[in-house]
Amino acid sequence: MLYEQHKAEIDGILARYPVDRKRSALLPLLYLAQDVYGRLNRDSIREVAEILDLPYTDVFEVVGFYTLFYNEDVGKIVLDVCDDVPCCFCGAEELVADLENRLGIKAGETTKDKVFTLRRVKCIAACDQAPVLQANLEFHNRVLPDKVEAMLTKLRNDVEAGKPVSISGRLAER
Amino acid sequence: MPDMVTLTIDGQTVSVPKGTLVVEAARQVENLIPVFCYHPKMAPVGMCRMCVVKVGTPKMDPATRQPVVDADGKSVIAMMPRLQTACTTPVSEGMVVVTQDSEVEHAQRGVLEALLTSHPLDCPVCDKGGECPLQNLTMGWGPGKTRFDYNDKVHFEKPVPLGDLIYLDRERCILCARCVRFQDEIAGDPVLGFYNRGRAWHIISQSDPEFDSKFSGNTTDICPVGALTSADFRFKARVWELQPIPTVCNHCSVGCNMTFDTRSNDIKRVMPRENDAVNEIWLCDRGRFGHHFNTSKQRLTTPLVRKAGKLQEATWEEALSIVAQQLDGIRSTTGGKAIGGLAGTSLANEDLYAFQRFFRETLGSANIDHRSGSALDLPLDDAGAQYGIRSGTDLSTLGKGTVVLVFGADPEEEAPVHLLRIRGINTRGGSVITLNGRPTKLDSIAKHALRYKYGSESAILAALLKPLLDSTPADGKRATLRGFNDLVAALKGFNLDEQASGISADKLNTVAELINSAENLVIFYGRDALTAGASVPAGLANLLVMTRKAGATNSGLISLLKGANARGALDLGVRPDRGPNYAALSNAGLDAKQMLSAAREGKLKALYVAGVDPVGDNPAAAESLKKLGLLVVQELFLTETAKLADVVLPVLSVAEREGTYTNAERRVQRFRQAIRPTINARPDWQILQALANQLVSEAVLSAAGGDKSRKQTRREEDKARVRSEWTYASPAEILMDIQANVAGYKGVSYASLQGPTGQWGRQANENYYFDGTSYQNTGGLGVQLPAAVETSSIQTLQPFSVSTPASVADRPWTLVGATFLYDDGALLTDTDLLNNRKAKAVVALNPVDADKLGVKNGERVTVSSGRGSLSLPVHRTKLAPEGVVVVPVGVNNVGLVSVVEGGATPVAIRREA
Repeated sequence: MLYEQHKAEIDGILARYPVDRKRSALLPLLYLAQDVYGRLNRDSIREVAEILDLPYTDVFEVVGFYTLFYNEDVGKIVLDVCDDVPCCFCGAEELVADLENRLGIKAGETTKDKVFTLRRVKCIAACDQAPVLQANLEFHNRVLPDKVEAMLTKLRNDVEAGKPVSISGRLAER
Repeated sequence: MPDMVTLTIDGQTVSVPKGTLVVEAARQVENLIPVFCYHPKMAPVGMCRMCVVKVGTPKMDPATRQPVVDADGKSVIAMMPRLQTACTTPVSEGMVVVTQDSEVEHAQRGVLEALLTSHPLDCPVCDKGGECPLQNLTMGWGPGKTRFDYNDKVHFEKPVPLGDLIYLDRERCILCARCVRFQDEIAGDPVLGFYNRGRAWHIISQSDPEFDSKFSGNTTDICPVGALTSADFRFKARVWELQPIPTVCNHCSVGCNMTFDTRSNDIKRVMPRENDAVNEIWLCDRGRFGHHFNTSKQRLTTPLVRKAGKLQEATWEEALSIVAQQLDGIRSTTGGKAIGGLAGTSLANEDLYAFQRFFRETLGSANIDHRSGSALDLPLDDAGAQYGIRSGTDLSTLGKGTVVLVFGADPEEEAPVHLLRIRGINTRGGSVITLNGRPTKLDSIAKHALRYKYGSESAILAALLKPLLDSTPADGKRATLRGFNDLVAALKGFNLDEQASGISADKLNTVAELINSAENLVIFYGRDALTAGASVPAGLANLLVMTRKAGATNSGLISLLKGANARGALDLGVRPDRGPNYAALSNAGLDAKQMLSAAREGKLKALYVAGVDPVGDNPAAAESLKKLGLLVVQELFLTETAKLADVVLPVLSVAEREGTYTNAERRVQRFRQAIRPTINARPDWQILQALANQLVSEAVLSAAGGDKSRKQTRREEDKARVRSEWTYASPAEILMDIQANVAGYKGVSYASLQGPTGQWGRQANENYYFDGTSYQNTGGLGVQLPAAVETSSIQTLQPFSVSTPASVADRPWTLVGATFLYDDGALLTDTDLLNNRKAKAVVALNPVDADKLGVKNGERVTVSSGRGSLSLPVHRTKLAPEGVVVVPVGVNNVGLVSVVEGGATPVAIRREA
């Protein structure tokens, strides 16, 4: 089904790799599957394995290793707030508390309207911009209290306007 | 001698081949470095860090590239800055290894302390307790105390099933990846993996069904902790109470060495017994878990005699005297030719020898066979003995320079442990070529995986032989090949029809080239090849002869016959056409099929069946058997045939008696009595001996009265034939008789089978943390018999001809009966664990074909040949090539037997409304 619905895109991904190295396309296909299904469950993982002729278990191993593959439903936007040391010095804990307040959820939870998921993460390699968070892997730097309201509004508006989102971060600027 | 490297380990000098790992070098001087993840049969990974040691190498002067020497002229040793893992460090000249000092001990203690942070304290209820490397190494190297907080232990849900056979306790797992690597590297079933990371890291299986491998039980042996336990043995016994009795697996022709671990006269588990030449340290799951038939409640417990139309319990005396009297009656009225005998391939050599002696000598009948007379019988295979793999071949040592040709065989299903051995040869640098009509698991590692179309087998072989023939010089060499001109004539004008055979001539030329240039050539062939006509085994034998590898070291045929002792039955003359040692007979008797038709015509009066089930294999046989005057069945179970018998004689199982089997590689191996029989049954040979002796005296009795002179003559004949009374006290004495009378078995005795017991790579049992819990072989390695060709000076090419199957217009499909490991055979009685894995009664059909016919999974089709038809649900699978339908052999209610004609059969398929 994944293949039938996204044939052109999947064939495009597969075409990037030699025919006998299909497994190289695993991560891009998992990103796609996660975006399509909103999470990676048993069936979607197996679909990817079948497209690539890989043993199911091998694909589960990859999914299990990475924390950015979700096995439970997440919101349209996943907010990963760094709470590692440099960010904490610059107000990460306050940022988390602020977000929890505004969204009405605790870290690790998803809002009722399924728009936001809030997670705490360790260093995301932007200490010079602390406190920092990623929204679907797009960096938001120096998220000081005065910026939070505007950021959330924009993200929510984008979702409501039907702008494409990618929880796998495929639309994030590199 | 390979390049040797000399190094010093804890002050002891040792020389080992180049490339040896430090941990293995240390084992040679009995310095046992502790390991968890390292396993001698698998590539090292250095995951557990338990084997850390100090390593130093001679210091080199960068300017001169010479070793730096000190004042005494000795090399200065530069120690590596950090501890090294002994399992991943290869030795080098002059290396110095320190395995025991405070620094090493400190590190090892630390590793163990870390491994034990979350390991639960459930040794008292753990199945591994008592043979657990973690327990032992903790005692030897571990800290007495832990600094970790008990409450910080990571907890997982207690055992979760990984499929039906194996349970995983994730708390106990130390994440050494031995099981994962075994499945990937050795079994070739990558069905285990790691999930998550950090302290949540754990083993998963996501295959369908879970842990989908025929070798899963081996992971419980090599697991260094109690994380993987078998569903069969969980909580059955404490291991130190078990008594391991050496035995030989009787499920297939590999003849794996194993032990029955018994307690209180019950088999608690089956474990592998190391024999590098047979099964290394592995077993398949059928062999490991299929022992329950021995102790099944369904076993026959006492002789049965038909009285008033019903089988009723009787004493041995009564049953035997009825059989003896009736056999004698038939013998003296119509002669031995009216008596037939079938003795199956799960009988021991001693039974089979006694059986043919009983028939040929006592009864004067040549009507002997080891098959059941069904359309699915395999032809008698002599090539496997004549051109069999040379004695002394050890597949576990072959690698580079070896070509393995798998022709018309699926080792995974027919003889699973051979799959591991073929994979091993490939891993060590050998090449595998598969030539099959349908896909098999070996295709994935094969250098050439070629798919022929059924019916073109002999043409394929002709295409392989032809270039070899052309390249054979016309000088004297040809003269040493008997039959060369016949082969030339047979191949004259032959051209491969690429369309009909499915393989290009170029491809086959490449294969012929590869085979010809190989140092060693091992050819496996199985059911598909055996049923494809006599020219196929002959053609394979000719490949050996033409490449000068017939009888050559490490080369020869391995025929995957059905049954543990099919080779023994053929060797010992349980067949109508040849006596023991393939001796030609002046008058051939009836084979199983002929016996059944003779019975139907009333010409055969009595049939004696031991360990064969003609009616179970082919329900139509019942009609023939009902016409018999006497049907005697010697069996473990009340089979379909036994239900029709006049007398049923219960026999002891492999676990309750002694004997020997001859495996596919012609290795004679001994099994021992593991449990005391609790039923009123006897070993097969004893029953035959009792009857033979009664018949000698019966002969004398019945000679009195009647036409005196005629009786007198008969009596003289009997006397001449019956050498004397049988006085075998044990199977060992029968084997002595076999050794004396069957040339091929010369030198085979219970003493020689006991054989050498030590093997390199295997330390004493207490060091099982290297290999797993398999057993050191104390029961002997067996004796491999020489192939006929080894001892003959002239090489003979077998009669070979190319046949082209006539295509049948209205039957465009090909039906193939395939062997599956988990079938409905009696040896899996009461092994309910394997029920879900048993081959289903379905027609395997390629999805493309299924679409053509418009059938979905589970819908029924009718498959009909010229003989009959069967009706089964469809299973859509790519395991059936297009145009071919596969139906399992040995599965109940498939009706295959009434449809097939020899091997691959042209059929019509119709979708049922």
